[in-house]
Amino acid sequence: MRKEKRIKVWEVFSYFFHISWFTFGGGWSIVAQMQKDYVDGKKELTTEELLDIVSVGRSLPGTMIGNVAFLFGYRQAGLLGGLLAVAGMVLPPMLILSVLTFCYTAFKDTVWVAKMLTGVRAAVVPIILAAALKLRDGAFPEKICYVLCIGGCILNAVFGINCVLVILLGVAAGLIMGRFREAEA
Amino acid sequence: MIRTLFQLFWSFCQIGYTSFGGMSMVPLINDEMVSHGWMTASEVSDIVAIAEMTPGPIGLNCATFAGMRVAGILGSLISALGVLMPTFTICAVAAVFFQKFKDSRILKNIMVGVRPAALGIIFAVMITLSRTNYLVAGAVSFKAVAVGLIAFFLLTKGKWSVPKVLILSAFLGLLI
Repeated sequence: MRKEKRIKVWEVFSYFFHISWFTFGGGWSIVAQMQKDYVDGKKELTTEELLDIVSVGRSLPGTMIGNVAFLFGYRQAGLLGGLLAVAGMVLPPMLILSVLTFCYTAFKDTVWVAKMLTGVRAAVVPIILAAALKLRDGAFPEKICYVLCIGGCILNAVFGINCVLVILLGVAAGLIMGRFREAEA
Repeated sequence: MIRTLFQLFWSFCQIGYTSFGGMSMVPLINDEMVSHGWMTASEVSDIVAIAEMTPGPIGLNCATFAGMRVAGILGSLISALGVLMPTFTICAVAAVFFQKFKDSRILKNIMVGVRPAALGIIFAVMITLSRTNYLVAGAVSFKAVAVGLIAFFLLTKGKWSVPKVLILSAFLGLLI
């Protein structure tokens, strides 16, 4: 491998390794950081390119920020760049979570921690609800999408249909609806 | 042991390939974890809270947590690899043919169907989690409901950040 490229690969790895310690609130904080460092700072990326990377990363399955890291790493330094960008991005949270899992298992049944967890659990559903309310924007471009949403909820909650199947139904419905739209146009 | 590792990998592969970021992973994780007996519903709530308090994507954090608890460090690595498989396969193809993917109509069509379906299962998982989080021995715990309402108000009207709300809720949990 050429020396230049080796440096690039190392650079994306260490970049994601560094910023990934502080990415609270989902992937958007990483995107904001990338905007600051690579668009405004180094000028190696335009805002449009970053937006393209984010919109493709979001519409592919998997963790959005993993996809964004891969796409960006690939753009900067090829396949190895993509792989190492993801590696750099996942290491910090995995290290933190490993330690926390150990603590959780050790302390979750002690009186104080158990009490704190009761409070925390009570806040989890509102947190999911608040996030879901934000996801509403753009989720219902057509009336039939409401049917999909309510239908998906009932299939899973009432009939116990596996979530994976419900999502696959959504994929199929999206493709079929697209066909109809294109036939009309 | 090998069998457990394979099951973990396969579960997180499914979670990875059928989730589109963030909260849409929670219902899938709940399904897989509870059906394999790897976690209880209240532990799923705990991991969502822990994942929200720590950096990193929620799917990856859950994979690390679940894998570690079920099969140690090897389990966490295998689970993380599973949840990242879409990135190493579909996204790798997208990186090579980036221009095609950027304007892909098929991708856009799929998302029109997937977004509402994902919201649907998110609502379903809220029902499941509510059952364990707000019921104590079959009766509604009004204290828990009160904490939940305060949390919702602070998140939406108060614009509090999620970690802040979780810290307050832990504190309220100590008081009640």
